[in-house]
Amino acid sequence: MTLSRKISETPQTLLFIPLFLSALGLWTLYSISLDQGTALAQNLFFKQSVILIPALVGFGLAFLVSRNLIHKYIYVFYCLTLAVLAVPFLGEKIAGTHRWIDLGLPIGVQPSEFAKIIIVIALARYLSDRNLQMQYFGSLIFPTIIVLVPTLIVLNQPDLGTAIILMTPLIPMLFWVGARPFHLFLFIAPILSILTAFHLVSFFIWAGVMAVIFYFSRPRLLYGIGLYFGNLFLGLLTPVAWNLLRPFQQKRILTLLDPDLDPLGAGYQIIQSKMAIGSGGFFGKGWGQGTQTHLKFLPVQESDFIVSVMGEELGFIAIVIMLSVFTYFIFRMSRSAFESNDRFSGLVLIGFASIFLAHVFVNCAMTVGLIPVKGLPLPFISYGGSFLMAAFMMVGVSMNLSVNRTG
Amino acid sequence: MLKAENQVPRSRYVIFNLAAFFFMAVLAGRFFYLQIMNYDTYRKRADSNRIRAVSLDAPRGLILDRNGEILVDNYPTYVLYCIPGEMENREKQFGVIGENIRMEKSMLESNYKKYYRTRFLPAKLAKDLSFDDLSRIEENKLNLPGVFYKQHPERIYNQKVRASHIVGYMKDLDNNAEEVKDKQSDYKAGDLIGWVGLEKQYESTLRGEKGATFYQVDAFGREVGHVAERDEVAPTPGENLETTIDISMQKTLERELEGLRAIGIVSIPETGEIIACASMPDYMPELFRGSMSGRDWSHIVSDTNKPLLNRFANGLYPPGSTFKMLTTVALLNNRKINPSEKIECTGFYEYGDRVFRCWNEDGHGFVNLEQAIEQSCNVYFYQTVQRISLKDLWTVWDRFGFGKKTGYDFPTEAKGTIPDRDFMNKRYGRRGWAKGNLLNMAVGQGEILVTPVQMAMYINHLATEGRAGKLHFVKGKGGVSDSSPHYSSPIWNRIRDHMEKVVYGLRGTGKSANPKIEGLNIAGKTGTSENPHGEPHAWFIGFGEKDGKQVSLVLLVENSGHGGEVAAPKARRIFSEYFNRSEIKMAEAQK
Repeated sequence: MTLSRKISETPQTLLFIPLFLSALGLWTLYSISLDQGTALAQNLFFKQSVILIPALVGFGLAFLVSRNLIHKYIYVFYCLTLAVLAVPFLGEKIAGTHRWIDLGLPIGVQPSEFAKIIIVIALARYLSDRNLQMQYFGSLIFPTIIVLVPTLIVLNQPDLGTAIILMTPLIPMLFWVGARPFHLFLFIAPILSILTAFHLVSFFIWAGVMAVIFYFSRPRLLYGIGLYFGNLFLGLLTPVAWNLLRPFQQKRILTLLDPDLDPLGAGYQIIQSKMAIGSGGFFGKGWGQGTQTHLKFLPVQESDFIVSVMGEELGFIAIVIMLSVFTYFIFRMSRSAFESNDRFSGLVLIGFASIFLAHVFVNCAMTVGLIPVKGLPLPFISYGGSFLMAAFMMVGVSMNLSVNRTG
Repeated sequence: MLKAENQVPRSRYVIFNLAAFFFMAVLAGRFFYLQIMNYDTYRKRADSNRIRAVSLDAPRGLILDRNGEILVDNYPTYVLYCIPGEMENREKQFGVIGENIRMEKSMLESNYKKYYRTRFLPAKLAKDLSFDDLSRIEENKLNLPGVFYKQHPERIYNQKVRASHIVGYMKDLDNNAEEVKDKQSDYKAGDLIGWVGLEKQYESTLRGEKGATFYQVDAFGREVGHVAERDEVAPTPGENLETTIDISMQKTLERELEGLRAIGIVSIPETGEIIACASMPDYMPELFRGSMSGRDWSHIVSDTNKPLLNRFANGLYPPGSTFKMLTTVALLNNRKINPSEKIECTGFYEYGDRVFRCWNEDGHGFVNLEQAIEQSCNVYFYQTVQRISLKDLWTVWDRFGFGKKTGYDFPTEAKGTIPDRDFMNKRYGRRGWAKGNLLNMAVGQGEILVTPVQMAMYINHLATEGRAGKLHFVKGKGGVSDSSPHYSSPIWNRIRDHMEKVVYGLRGTGKSANPKIEGLNIAGKTGTSENPHGEPHAWFIGFGEKDGKQVSLVLLVENSGHGGEVAAPKARRIFSEYFNRSEIKMAEAQK
């Protein structure tokens, strides 16, 4: 296949959208850096522009590399990834976690960002390699392990946000290859059992809903009863497990319920973020005019809370445009997945789409106070090297695999 | 190995897209809720987050005397503040400050606590810094981060007079003050408020309106410049207070009463303007301005002469013989005496088993009404008062305004006591008192207690046939008095005539009140009121009239002896000063 054919057949919007979003991100970063030092080395706009160069190189490589090579060596990469994920544990903690590897570069590298790519591809290979009998629950166990092992390592760093992102492609991908919805429900059920366990009424409602779903799905009686009560038992154990959580994680969850409880502590970020966004209104206060941003009321505004800056300065209109663009981006990936004529490529595309969706949702939901502060960047827009690079590589792989093989 | 066919049913593709759309829609909905539906709320909150209004003090109005001379002025002082959040080591810095401005460290600490608001708002540490203090603070500036000083207008007083009980003083509000806690008021901790005297009475006039300037603050509460979209509001200066006080008369009065426990009120009967007013001992008005040390305070509080007591407003005294004109009014009005009727005074009078004494132990012999007033004979009134009832007396007292506030423009005023039947029944029981008590009351003793301000009202009514104006300190605040005794002209004329005899008569008790000025007529009455605190109080009340111009005077010297001997000579000098001075002034005006 010639390069020119590959370029003409691939959906080019998959590159244009990330470039557009990166430009939006740079524009916002430029506003933030207005009141920072003039030294280039400290200027966020400049730094992010520089990072874009290796990111685009990564994109190119990922686009050009043969799909057969990817498919062939992915398990090797998977094993290497597990090893690399463990490396930060050997070094010093940076910012209180084992998230970073110091390569002697001006910026640290976060291997967990690249693990997102590897895990999705490895899972896609496993699910496409054999004729899986997806209607059996047992077939779901090994794919789960593939995802769970790196997730547990990341969770230990500790990095709850990334761990959640690593988990998210599993269910959409299993769904894509034909797993029974009831089985997928069994994946989600324990999570809901745990969440509802904190509220007695919710827990009873959940137990009722779960009973109805079990009844209509008609699993084998013994399994059904076992799973049902297993879930309830899990819910009852949750308060015990709660006490084992790290205090900062507990606090994050609690502050979600009522950020005003602690306006200067953990709730501060959410309150300031909501205030910045809400005060932006429809058209925003104007680029560079965000008072909450420029008076430093807004915390980590260049990465996790960059949406708050956009919401304040550019308004609801910009937010809607951004969300629409992301939605279209995800739709375009799922369309490529649907139209792909090999299962492996389709699965990789769906996995990446899920990761992008999860990133956007978790990041925005956090800034508007829907879920606890997680510390996840917004793809292409937030400042940050490793994830920007990983995101562009995912785009490269996606465009690579969107081109159908001939014959 | 890329052989596996992609066999995804369209339904699963659609479901995936729907799920993605659902998540995005949730986000969009939430943004809509925050940015469109709650825009106003968040906008306001964001502004209050970043805008700090800093108030600009309005210059306080001055207090002037009747001729426009300044009684109370403002002058710039320096006040030391600190921004708590910008200080590095409070303990140590307070030590450095204390050494340089010679102030106890504990005082700085306690001021800090009193005026602390938030970490990034200034708290007042010390006031009235001298230039030496400032230069020493300036030298140590590097060791004192977060400490700065600001110019602040303070009260300064006319050095000729004190007038401290009239003008009163201001008080610093600390963060426990009611005015500060009241969210409606715009008083803030560290503000000054008129606390006593005219400063209090006319607080709203003098104070003016605060202005405001708006600073933008960052997330750490530091000021980062002005807010562009809100203009500074300039303060409205307070209005000047034009009083009716005459500084030179005030000076004369204060000089006469210096070193005594005494009161003097000089006023114009017809209008009620108070020209001079003193309660002695008083205090230096500056006393309450600076940072008074605990020792000064306990010294002034423990002074047995009570310099802080405002005697003209809150002092209660038995009026003694000065009340005899009221007894006379009651007798004449009820037609119970013939003024030429003579009654014998033997120096005492027996009523039942009690003996009532005249001040002249040898007795006055046979006296008529005129002589009884001129010589202040008690026995005459002991006898005649038996012809009327307590009700008759009470009615007269009440009409002249005793037993209630005169309503002058001053924040404090006592009511005094004039006994009626109910009062006497309550105090002594229905059978516990009898007509015998009237004998005491006829000569202004017994249960009667009056304030010097009521006495000024009383003498002014006598001077104007009951048409005196309401007493007041500030121009334009007079008007019709609350009390207006109506009696016939012959009664007024007779009383005035007899009061002139007190000053001009051969045996008048008030002879030494006569300044002997051509064309000046003085009518007066002395009083020597018995009281439980020792020597009797010496009273003189009276008014002078020359060329149709009247001025009245109330003088009381506590525990000093006879009114005629102690108070009347002082009255002479005050009348003399007043009428001579106006003579000079008139002459000047003619030139």
